Formats: sequence, structure tokens, C-alpha cells
Amino acid sequence: MLRTPPQPRPQSLDDLLDSALIAHIDRLDLASRRVFTGKLRGERRSKRRGQSVEFADHRQYGEGDDIRHIDWNIYGRLDRLFVKLFLEEEDLALHLVLDCSESHDTGQPGKFLFMQKAAMALGYVGLVNLNRVAATAMGPREGSIWSAIRDLRGRRRLHELAQWICSLQPRGAFSFRQAAQRIALARRGRGVMVLFSDCFFKEGFEAGLKLLVGRGFDLFVVQVLSPQEVNPPLTGDLRLKDVEDADQAEVTISAPLLKRYKANLAAYAAELGLFCARREINLITVQSDLPVETLLLDFMRKRGLLT
Amino acid sequence: MTWLTPTLATIAAAIAVPTLLLLYFLKLRRRDVEVSTTLLWKRAIQDLQANAPFQRIRRNILLILQLIVLGAALAALGQPQTRGDTQVGSRHIILIDRSASMQTRDEEGTPPVSRLDAARKQALALVESLREPTILQKDRADQAMVISFDASARVVQNFTSDKGLLRAAINAIEPADTPTSIALAIQLAKAQSPTRMHVDRDGSVTRVEGLTEGPTSVIHVWTDGRIADVAEANPGPGEQIVFNRVGKPETGNVALVGLRSERAFDLPARLSVYAGIESTEPADRALDVELLLDGQVAMIRPVTLPAARTAIGADPARPVTPSVGGVVFTLEREQGALAQVRLRTAGGDLADDPLDVDNRAWLVVPPAKRLAVALVTRDNLFLKTALEGMPLARLTVLTPAQYQAAIALGKSADHDVVILDAWAPPLDPARAPIQGALPPTGLPPGRFLVLGAVPGGADGYQLVEREPTGAQSLLDWRRDHPVLRGLLLDAVAIAQARAVAPAEGAGVAVIASADHGPAMLEVADERSRALVVTFVPTDSNWPLNWSFIVFLAQAVTYLGDDQAITGAGQTPRLVQPGEIIRDRVPPGVPEVEVTTPAGLTHKVQPAADGQVVFGPITTVGPYRLAWSGPAETPAARLFAANLLDSAESDVAASAELALATAAVGATTAQATLDRKLWPWLILAALGLLMIEWFVYNRKVHV
Repeated sequence: MLRTPPQPRPQSLDDLLDSALIAHIDRLDLASRRVFTGKLRGERRSKRRGQSVEFADHRQYGEGDDIRHIDWNIYGRLDRLFVKLFLEEEDLALHLVLDCSESHDTGQPGKFLFMQKAAMALGYVGLVNLNRVAATAMGPREGSIWSAIRDLRGRRRLHELAQWICSLQPRGAFSFRQAAQRIALARRGRGVMVLFSDCFFKEGFEAGLKLLVGRGFDLFVVQVLSPQEVNPPLTGDLRLKDVEDADQAEVTISAPLLKRYKANLAAYAAELGLFCARREINLITVQSDLPVETLLLDFMRKRGLLT
Repeated sequence: MTWLTPTLATIAAAIAVPTLLLLYFLKLRRRDVEVSTTLLWKRAIQDLQANAPFQRIRRNILLILQLIVLGAALAALGQPQTRGDTQVGSRHIILIDRSASMQTRDEEGTPPVSRLDAARKQALALVESLREPTILQKDRADQAMVISFDASARVVQNFTSDKGLLRAAINAIEPADTPTSIALAIQLAKAQSPTRMHVDRDGSVTRVEGLTEGPTSVIHVWTDGRIADVAEANPGPGEQIVFNRVGKPETGNVALVGLRSERAFDLPARLSVYAGIESTEPADRALDVELLLDGQVAMIRPVTLPAARTAIGADPARPVTPSVGGVVFTLEREQGALAQVRLRTAGGDLADDPLDVDNRAWLVVPPAKRLAVALVTRDNLFLKTALEGMPLARLTVLTPAQYQAAIALGKSADHDVVILDAWAPPLDPARAPIQGALPPTGLPPGRFLVLGAVPGGADGYQLVEREPTGAQSLLDWRRDHPVLRGLLLDAVAIAQARAVAPAEGAGVAVIASADHGPAMLEVADERSRALVVTFVPTDSNWPLNWSFIVFLAQAVTYLGDDQAITGAGQTPRLVQPGEIIRDRVPPGVPEVEVTTPAGLTHKVQPAADGQVVFGPITTVGPYRLAWSGPAETPAARLFAANLLDSAESDVAASAELALATAAVGATTAQATLDRKLWPWLILAALGLLMIEWFVYNRKVHV
């Protein structure tokens, strides 16, 4: 919530990953919920529903789904639209997407640093397990993409990735929908996509997420909130300024207002969660004071992203 | 409801309320805080506004509370009060009776409260109801003064509007065991109004005595109406009297109303004590009357007093005729004693009697004494025969030469009384008059009845002799003097008498006067004391009159009873509270110590002639005067102060005060009091302030 006090930004891999963390995550590997038959063979099987002949499951039809996969038999029986899911065979790519809007330059500890560390740790797991790793930073530039790096593979590209992550800085505002569209258009192949963001998009998160998940990506959304956003340490008569667009809100902090704010936050998270569940998006909501190894070893393992 | 200072409150409101509102409408100075997104906050604000229809009021609840607090404070500034309707006039005179009957315990309470306590309480309530000075107008306050009265009256507190002073004055009024007199109190109250001024045509201003002007006072009297001189009380024409009666009209009481002791003439050791008792109770009353001598119970006599009668057509001031009873204690006792008589029930204390002060009385009983008398005469048959008929211990007849020899031997004081018949001892050169000191009598130590001679006689002595005078008769004598009591001296014709002039300032008392000057005088110095008759009885027709014998007996008794020397000639050593103790000690005594019944001691300086005055006393009981003089060993005298007042002991509260000008009926119920509202308003403002603080805290903190 409150802007992060100025502090040195990470400069190298060592700043992002300390040796203890590396020791913890070294044995991890990426997993996908689909069978993996990519151009480049990886080291495991992956289960992922997609386009293949092997039926896997049904799920409720959502806007944007390919209408060719609707199961008309079920529609005939239940009068509801379901799509058939098939085991898909594809090579596994790891696509890291970082939200570099200025709202991440807040919180104590800072949300952006947490995102950088988490992305680097995930990228490390992908690279050392010989997966194809790409990364995109969304930001206020042409097409709402700040910068991107792609086709990294193998341990020796670690420093390249680290350098790229370190070069990122939270700045300004951008259109999430536009960025999602660009990412979806530019993507080649299929794989796992992990989006790091606080998901506070004034235009709404729905359109962007739909675009990202629509092309068959196994999408994980890591929503990063600062502890100050969950429990605002505010009192008195305030003029709240949005760091991204200088929007202002005059408030007198009172118990009912804080109660209402927390209820809104919970409702927003629930809305996001429901949206994600409908589209098989994995949503992980964390606070920026969570240790990165807990995110990887505990949360992501449970969701099946890492094994 | 009345507002004492509405203008002040209005002005303050005109300033304070707009200021508060202005402060509220000034834009809040908000602190800038950067947040990651205002998205959720804006939604929260919208939600709050959407969900709370009274949001505007809720946001301003603090303002509303503050306005109420301000309103309460401003209303308090207006000094509102609900007002009773009996308060007329702005000057009040509070008269509180503190006499003996006001100690009657018959007011509501357990145990019953005394009438004086009830009166004080009601008077304090009146003081509370007085208008107080307002913030702007100090002179709008009611004023009151406090006068307490018993046998006399005293201003306890002069006119003031300071309620603290008035309360303290009322609380300081202590009961006194005295009879009641209201005339002086009314006069004191009347004196507080300024005299009316009359402006003549030429501009000169004269005061018209007896007429008053200015704001009239309301005189509030708290009494039970047992007032002896109520008919003499004459309030001023404009003054309104409110008679607040305390006590109940049906209260009965038993009381000692008389006490006297006597020794038989022929048997001085036989002592008789008479006690008179009255009862105003509606039923028969059995009592034990105890006689205590020097603190020890000596005798108990039971007595039953019949019920008091209520006579039809009786005096409305005393509708009940008290029943009268009495007892006589007869016992053998030669010594003097301090006797006390007290009323008790058979079982113990007279606890159910509402008035305690009249259930006991004291009496100083002189010792039985037969006197030794010396008659110094050449040969006086009348005197000798008269004295031989008296019950004396010893009568010695001496010639002047024999007596002079006795003086030379220092035996002049062998006799209690020496009667000098037409002869005075020669002057002692060793005791010549000293300039500036009290003149001596010119007599040797002792007590003398001097007939037809002038002791001293020369300049510088108490009596100075002039040329002899011719035939004359007695014109005037003090009938209340113990020596002359009951005597008729009109028929006494004197052939010739010595002419004497009393020295100035020597304290010589002339007790009888004839045509050409004093005929009988009383003189005293530190050693001697004498009654001087300026003519020889045989030079008159007096010895043939029975009054001569009575005079001799009374003079011998008076001089011989060395303690009965009250110069004023009152009944010796029996006083009533409210009076003063007056005594005469030997001249030259520097200081007299008076011990009251409560055990307190007071130092009193006697006058040059030995007069001692103490009082007026307020409590019953024995008073002791002690001194040590230059010529005497330490000595002491006792005085007994008793109520012994039938009117005061009749404690039935009367229904009206029959004053000289009008009869005032009793108002027993206390008038409706002013109730001040501003303390409640301030209290409410404080309470609201606390609520406001609570609300503010709830708003700010989570």
C-alpha cells in the first residue's frame, strides 16, 4: 500500500537468489498437467488437457473457448454447455510475465522485489531442468510491453535471465488487456505461463486473463499483495493518491470504512478466484512478506506446477 | 423557570455557535498518502455512502454532540432555576430561637431531633433558596442576616449574600439553657432598616426616628412560640414576619420549677430542701426526685404528678394548665454543700422526657452556723436585750476600753460580728490612707455593725464626717437589700444623726437615706466590712418598733454569713441562665477564676471595689469563682445556675405569635425551594463530552 522506502535494487543473480534458496529449489522440476510431447523432449511426462484424441475431462463452457469442443451430447441431455478436454501433447515452455506497473513499488517488504525473486527462482528451476524459458515485463511502453526475453534454455542462461530481471523497474501504468493481447499473439508453442501481479487493474482483469488463457496456456496467476494492503495502517483524515495515475480519494479513516475496505478486498480476491476457477487458471494469492521458498516449495507444489 | 442572566447567555451563544459551525465547515487539512491503488478505497467509500442512509448525520455526529454540549453550557450560563413563590423581597432576617425550650426533642427523627436542629435545617434550606449573585449583576442577590435570641439577642451574621457565611453562622448557633425574649431580637432586626430621612424645604435633612424606609425585610422566625415577652415585640410597619413553628403543640414535659433550702431557726443543723415540680403531660406521671449532696445521692422521694388539665376558655397561649407537685427533703447536715435535685423515673433516667435541661437543678447550701457576736457599748439595754433573744453561739458585751485592749492584742477577729454602739475605734496610724489607693474604712479587721458613729470620718477614708444634723425621718431605703428586706421604716423618726459623705469611687453603698443625707451605708475594704447607721437608735423611736429587732437579726446574719456578700442584694448565689453572675470579692484580689459547669475556666478582672461580673451565662449547673487575695487565704464561692422557669418548661409549641402589632400564625411546612438547574446542565455537558470523546475514538481507531 504505502510506497516502498528507497533501497538498493537487486543487481545480480546473487541478489535475487541466495545459496540457501538454491539448495532448497535445486531438486524441483516443472510439471504440467498435460502430456508433454514437444519439439524438444524434456525429462518428464506432463499432463495437460488440450487438443488431442485422448479425452481427459469435461468442463463448463466459458466465453472464448473453442466452440468446436462443445460436447453437444451433454448439451442435449443437460441443456448446459460443456467442452471436452483432451490430453494434449506439446513441448513445455515456461513463460514468466511480470507486472511492472508502479503500484508494485509499494509495500514493506516491497511487492516488486518479491516478484523479482519469485520469478528468478522459478526461472532457475526451469533453466536447470532444461525447459524453454521466456519472460515478459508488462509496462508503460509501446504495446504495454516493457521488455521481453525468450528462448532461454540451460543453466548457462541463468545470468542472462538474472540480468534481465534486475534491469526491470516498476514504472507508470499500462493497459493489461493490450499487454495480454501482445503476449498471446507473440507466443509460440504451448507451456506454463506464470503471471506475477497484484491484479489491481482499473480496466478489469477479465479481458487480459481471457486472452492469456485462451491460447491453451497452463496459466498460473501469483497475486502479490503487501501486508499494508491487507491491513492498512492508516488513521486520520487523508488524501489517498494512486501512485500509477495520480487519482485521488479523500477519506476519513474510521472503523466502518476500514471494515468496508477489507470486505472489498476479500470480495475482489473472491471474484478473481471465481474467474480463475472457471477457466482453470491457478490463482495463488500471497503477501509480499512470504518467504520465496514457501511459495515454491509449498504453494506451487500443491498446485502441481513444481514437483 | 427563571433565567437569571439570559442576556449573557444570548451574547455567548451568538459568538460561540457560529464559531463552532465555521470551524466545522472549514475544509479539513488532509494528509497525503500514496497507495498502490485507490480502486478498493473508492469502492469502500461508495459502499459506505450507499449503505448508510443517515451517512450525512453520522459523519456529523461529532458536530451534533458538540452543539448539544455547547447548548448545555450556554443554557447553564443563563443560570436557569425553578422558583418557589414565597420569595418576596430581597432582604431576609433569620431569627432563630435558641432558648431552653428549643432543646426539646420532639421533631421527626430517630432519635427525635431537637427543635433547634430542625430550625437550623429549615433556615439552611431558606438560605439555599436565596437568589445568588449572577455573573453580571452582583447586586441582584438576596441578602440575609442571622440573629439568634434567647434571654437576649445577638447578631450572628450581618446582612450578606454570601451563602457560605450564612450557613456557617446558622450552624454556629448553639443551644442555651435560658428563658426566651424576642423583643430585643425584633428590635435588632428593625434597626437594620435605614431610618427614614426627611428633607425640609430649606434642604436640611433630618432623620425621623422610629420610621424606616428602603427595601422591606422579611423576618423569618424559627421558634416554638414559648416566648415570655412576645407581646412586647413591635416589628416595623413594613416588615413581614413569617413564623416558622418548630415543635409540636401536644408535647408535654416534666420540670423542676422551684428549689430552695432553709435551715430551722432554732436548729441550724436541720436542713430542708424544697423542690417544686410541674408537669404538662397528658397522663399521670410517677417520678423519683433525687437529692444529691456534693455529688452523692442523699435522699430519694417518689412523687406522682397528676395529668395536666386542659381548661376550656383558658389563655390561648397556654391552653394546658400544668399540674403542680413538690417534695421536701429534711435532713441533718451542719456543713455547707452543693445540692443537686434531679428528676428520674423509678427505673433510671428520664429518657422519654423531651427536655432534659429542666430535670435537674443545683443549690448552694450554706453551712449551719451560730454566730459569735460582740457588743461594744457603754450600756445600751435595748441592744443587749434584743441580741440576747437571738440564737447566737456567744454574745460578749464589752466596753470600748475592753474592746480596744482586745484590738491591741490582735483579737479583734475573735467574733463573727462586732456591734459598735455610738463608738468607733480610734484610727490606726499604720493604716493611714494612701494617695491613689482604695480608701480604707478606718476599722480593724472584722465585720461591724456601727450604730451612731462614723468609722474613719476624716478625709481619705471611705466615710467623711460632716456637721451633725437635726431631726429627720427616713425617706427611702433599698427594700431588696438582705438587711432591709421586709422592713417598714416610714414611722422611724430620728432626733439627731451624724452627717456623712461617702468618698468618691470607694464603692460605698447607701442603703437608706434620710432628709439630710445617708442614713445607712455599707462599706468594705480588704480587711473589714461594715454596715453603718448614722444615728444612735436610742436617739430615735426605732427601738420601739418591731422592725428594729428584725433589722438587727438580718444585719447580724448578713454580716456573719461571710459568703453572702453580693453587693446588689439579690438572692445570693442563685442565677438563671441569661443573667450575669455578679459578686464582690475582697478588694485587692487581682484575678478571679470562673469555672463553668463544662469545666472551662475564665479569668475575670475584678473592679477596684471588688465587683466581679461574669456572663451572661448560657448553661445550667454550678459555677465556681475562685481567687486568692493579698489578705485572705485562697477562697472560692459557688453559684448555682438553674432554669426553674415554669413558662419555659411548658414546651407545647404555640400556634401563633401574638406580637404587639399583630398575631402571626404558624407556617410549619417549608416553602417550595428554588432549584437551580445550571449544575445539572453542566453535568449533562460533561457527560456528552465524554460520549463525544468515545465516538471520536471509535471513529479514528480500529
